[in-house]
Amino acid sequence: MQPILKINLSTQIFEEYKIPAEWERDYLGAASLAARILYDDLTADLDPLSPESPLLILTGPLTGTFGPATGRFIVAGKSPATRLWAESNVGGFWGVELRKCGYDGVWLTGKSDSPLYLWLNGTKPELRAADHLWGQDTYQIQESLKAEIGSKSAKVLGIGIAGENQIPMAGIFCDHGRAAGRTGLGAVMGSKNLKAIAVLGNGEIPLARPDKYKKLRVLANRALKEDPLTSVMSDLGSAGAAEYLDYLGEMPKKYFSAGTLEGSEKISGSSVAETILVGKKACHGCVIACGRVVDIGDGEKRKGPEYEALVGFGPNLGLTDPIFATRMGELCDRYGLDLISASGTIGLAYSLYEQGIISAADTDGLALEWGNADSAETLLHQLARREGFGALLAQGSLALARHFNAESQAVQVNGLELAYHDPRGASGMALVYATSPRGACHNQSDYFLADIGQVDDSLGLAFFDRHAGAEKAANVARHQDWRTVGNSLVICHFANVPPQTLLDLVNAACGWELDLDALMRAGERGWTLKRMINLNLGLRAANDRLPEPLLKALPDGGAAGYEIPFDEMLSAYYTARGWDAESGVPSREKLIELGLEYIA
Amino acid sequence: MSAIFPSIEWLEDLKEKLNSDEKYARLAKKWEGDMLCVLEPDETLKEPMYLYIDLWHGKCRDIAIWDEIGDKKPAFILKASYANFLRVLRGELDPMQAMLTRKLGVKGNMAVMMRNVPTVLDFVRCAGEVTGEAL
Repeated sequence: MQPILKINLSTQIFEEYKIPAEWERDYLGAASLAARILYDDLTADLDPLSPESPLLILTGPLTGTFGPATGRFIVAGKSPATRLWAESNVGGFWGVELRKCGYDGVWLTGKSDSPLYLWLNGTKPELRAADHLWGQDTYQIQESLKAEIGSKSAKVLGIGIAGENQIPMAGIFCDHGRAAGRTGLGAVMGSKNLKAIAVLGNGEIPLARPDKYKKLRVLANRALKEDPLTSVMSDLGSAGAAEYLDYLGEMPKKYFSAGTLEGSEKISGSSVAETILVGKKACHGCVIACGRVVDIGDGEKRKGPEYEALVGFGPNLGLTDPIFATRMGELCDRYGLDLISASGTIGLAYSLYEQGIISAADTDGLALEWGNADSAETLLHQLARREGFGALLAQGSLALARHFNAESQAVQVNGLELAYHDPRGASGMALVYATSPRGACHNQSDYFLADIGQVDDSLGLAFFDRHAGAEKAANVARHQDWRTVGNSLVICHFANVPPQTLLDLVNAACGWELDLDALMRAGERGWTLKRMINLNLGLRAANDRLPEPLLKALPDGGAAGYEIPFDEMLSAYYTARGWDAESGVPSREKLIELGLEYIA
Repeated sequence: MSAIFPSIEWLEDLKEKLNSDEKYARLAKKWEGDMLCVLEPDETLKEPMYLYIDLWHGKCRDIAIWDEIGDKKPAFILKASYANFLRVLRGELDPMQAMLTRKLGVKGNMAVMMRNVPTVLDFVRCAGEVTGEAL
C-alpha cells in the first residue's frame, strides 16, 4: 500500500506513516485496517472532540481500480454520538483522487487555532486558511475551493455547518451529497477546525498484477451489469425494492409504530422514476449508477432521494411526498448532517408529541403531528444550527429522550439511530443492529437482503425465513464478516459480485494468494477487533440490545403480530461468535485463532 | 391438473388457473404486460424452451410455446435453468432469492416489476399449483 499522510493540526507537522505489510494482509484495508491502526489510540477517557482524538481517512486496496463499485473509502475514529468505534464509508470520487496523489490515507490529529483546509496537490500537502469558507455548506465549498485552487478536477471532502457546530450527527461529505454520514465524524473534523481537504493527483493507482486485474475487472463489471439486482438499482436507485420492503412490513412508519401508511406506495424508486427522475449518477467507475438526478419542478437538476431519505422524511414522519424527501435530503447534505440520525431524531420528537410527553410549549409552538412537513423542515434547520427546540434534537435521539425521561422510546442502539429497515420485517437485522460495532447501522450488514434471499453457498450463507429466530444467528455473523471484508476493500454493498470474483480481484490487486476462507477470516478478524475496541471503550453485553419499541409487534402490515425472539437470537449469536455467554467478550481462544494474540 | 412442466398442456392449465383464481384476479388487476420464460438447457432439458404468457388486468389472454425469441419483444423476459424454474414452481426456491442469487435473470421494466411484487409472487403461486409432473 501507499503511505498515509499524517498531519498534526496543532503543530502543522506532516509525516508519512508506512503501514506494516503484515497488517495489510491481515486487515485488508480501509475499515478493518483503520481499527488496527487506531487500536492503541482509542481509549475510554478520550474525548472524541479533543485535539488528541484521531480522525483517519483511509482507502482500500480496490479503491479507484475500476473494479466493480470500488470508488469508496472510509473515515474512522471515536464517535461523539456513541463514544464507541466510529466508521463511515462513502463513494464519489475523492478517495480515488487521494490514491492518485500517492497516499492511501490521511491521518489527522491535533487542532488548529483557526479554520484551515488541506490542499493536497499530488504529494505536496499545504494547510491554508479557511476563515472565508467557515459557514459555507458542503455544496458551496465544492465550488469555492475548486475556484480558489484553480482546478475543476480537484476533489473536495469537507464539513458543513453541522460539523462546524460539532453536532454529534454531523458527517463528512464529498462531491455533491456523497456522505460519510454516520457516527458523527464530521463533528470530529469540525473540532479540529478543519473545514475541507482538496486533492488532485495524477499518479497511477498501484496494482500488483495490473494486466490480470484489468481482465478480471472487465469481466466482473460485465457480469455485474447483467445482474438482476443491478437492474433494480440502476433503474430505480437505492429505493428500488421499497415496495417489496413495504409489503414485508420492513419499511418503518410513524417512527416504527405503524405497519401501514396510506400513500406509502409513493415512497419508492419506481415512484421517483415515474415522476421526477431526469437522470442517473454514478460513483467512480461504477456500472450500477444508483444515484438519482431529479427535477422537482424548479427546472434545476439535483440529487434525488435515496431510500433512507425517502423513508426518513417520508413514512417515518407520516409523510409520502418524494419531493419533500428530496428537499430534506439536500438540506441534510448541505448542512453536513447524517440524514438517518436527523430524521430519526425528528421522528422521535413527533412520537413524543403524539404521546403527550412533549407539547407545543416545548417546541416553541411547533405542532409535531404526523404528516406535518413544515414542522419537520423547521426542526431540521434548527437542529443544524443548534437553535430553539432543535438544539435539543442536535444531541441525538438518546439525549432527547433522556431529557424528557423517555429513554426507552428512542429507537437507537448505543446512541446511533436505526436505519430504516425494521427488524420486525426481517429479523436478522435485530442482531445486526444490536451487535454492530458502531450502533444501529445497516452498513455493517444489510442482512435484510439475506432475509429476502441474497445468500451465497460459497460463503456458507444459507437462506432462512425472514422471521426465523436463533437458527439464523450464525448466518448473521457470517454475513457481518463478509460485509466487513467489503468495508475493508472498499466495495459498495449494492454490487452483487460473486465472492470468488471478488477474491480473484483482491489477489490480483494485492499480489496475494488468499482463498475464500482467508478472506472471511480477515472479515471476522476485523469485526472482532472492533468488538475489542468497543469493550475497551466501555461497551458491555447490556449494550447489545434492541430498543423497546422494536420488541413489540406491529399492529398491521406485512410483519403484523410478529415479535422478535431477541434473547434467544443473541444467545445463539454469542455462541456462534465464540463470545462469552454472559459478558459478550470474545474468548482468548477465539482471539488467538484469529491472530489477535496482541490483545488476547 | 398435472400436466408435465414444461408443455403446452401445462401452459393451458396455468391459463385456466389464472383466469379462475380470485386472489390472482384481485392482486393483478392493474398488471399489464406479457412475459417470456426462457428455460435454459441443463442436465434434464436438452434444448432451450420459450414459454410465452400474456397477462392483462388479472387475466391470462394468451399462451404459446415459441421456437425462438426472434425480434419479438415481450415486456418481461425471465431466464433460468430448467431445474431452477422447477425449484421455484415447487416452492423449493424463493423467487426473490432466485433473482438475488443470479439463478433467475429478469429483463424488463423493473419499476413495473417492483411495484407489483405481490402480483408476481401470486403468479408464482398459481403456476406452482398447476405444476405436478416434471421431465
